Amino acid sequence: MTEKVLLVDDEEEFVETLAERMRNRGMEVATTSSGAEALERVDDEDFDVVVLDLKMPGIDGLEALERIKRRRPDIQVVLLTGYATVEKGVEAMKLGALEFLEKPVDLASLTDAIHKAKATKMVLVEKETEERIKEILHHKGW
Amino acid sequence: MTSPDVELVRAVSEAGLRFFGVMSASVSHEIRNKLAVINEKAGLVEDIAVAMRSGRAPDPDRLEMQAQRIVDQIRQANRIVRALNRLAHSTDEADATVDVAELVALVVELYGRKAAMAQMVIEAEAPTGEIEVRTNPFLLANAIGLCLDSAMANAGGSRALRVIAEGDGDGVSIRIRGLEGDVDSGGGPATDRAGLGSLLETLGSDLAVDRESGDLVLSIRNLKPRENGSQP
Repeated sequence: MTEKVLLVDDEEEFVETLAERMRNRGMEVATTSSGAEALERVDDEDFDVVVLDLKMPGIDGLEALERIKRRRPDIQVVLLTGYATVEKGVEAMKLGALEFLEKPVDLASLTDAIHKAKATKMVLVEKETEERIKEILHHKGW
Repeated sequence: MTSPDVELVRAVSEAGLRFFGVMSASVSHEIRNKLAVINEKAGLVEDIAVAMRSGRAPDPDRLEMQAQRIVDQIRQANRIVRALNRLAHSTDEADATVDVAELVALVVELYGRKAAMAQMVIEAEAPTGEIEVRTNPFLLANAIGLCLDSAMANAGGSRALRVIAEGDGDGVSIRIRGLEGDVDSGGGPATDRAGLGSLLETLGSDLAVDRESGDLVLSIRNLKPRENGSQP
């Protein structure tokens, strides 16, 4: 099944080129250049993974991560940044990021992280569906 | 050295180290972003080559465009590295005749990313004629940087700042224009305020708000050699 990915980075040249390479590898990829726009896209569409830059004008990566996880806990977030510090990495993981990768990134590593994110999301969705079915069965008394 | 002198030297050293650290972090971040673009462009060229080997028609225009964009990224990265290198060399001499417009342009360039992150634009306005002052170049660059921090923290609704160097009697003035609302010449984080105070004292400078124009004005006087020949 194709991974549906949202790439968020204020460096448009970077994000468009990476998106093209990921599409060449069979992924469905959308792009935005700001944290605010990413939040709108996440509200409107169902993504498996959001790949977020850490440092962006306006809503930065950590704030966007926190708000995405609050709205859509099932969506998996990978931080991809040129501004990696141990502190930022720990903070990102505490806020629910699945991976914290450094730029420039090896596409194979990013693809692995996206596959892992998709699998994690599927487990979460399956668990949620199972709980809903159990709840329906309990209420209906079947 | 008396105790207040020791404190002053320590405060100036700490401010300088912090300033150089912030500039180095910002530049290294920008370079990594450029390297990331180059990395993706190179990967895309490789993808195109693989597709061509598999039978896709050659597209020399597309390859040429990607190569040109890689060159553009290298040029931009080189410009950023050159700016950091010039800042590093401003420590070569503690007492020099400084082309103030050139130094202002350098600090403004180094502050480009910081300003962009704050969704602001800072521009250096070219002065008419040469404006020079005898001072410590690195400490002056540091003071200009902290003034920009203060201006950004107190810009009100303004999103664009202009920095202008002017001749001013026995020294020069650096004006930061485009501020809105109540401008506080001592704004910004407490550590930066303390550092700026120490720098101004060492450089024999003043920072004030021109109440008429609302500009933040940094006035620098020419340094006089100390009696024992030492310089700040």
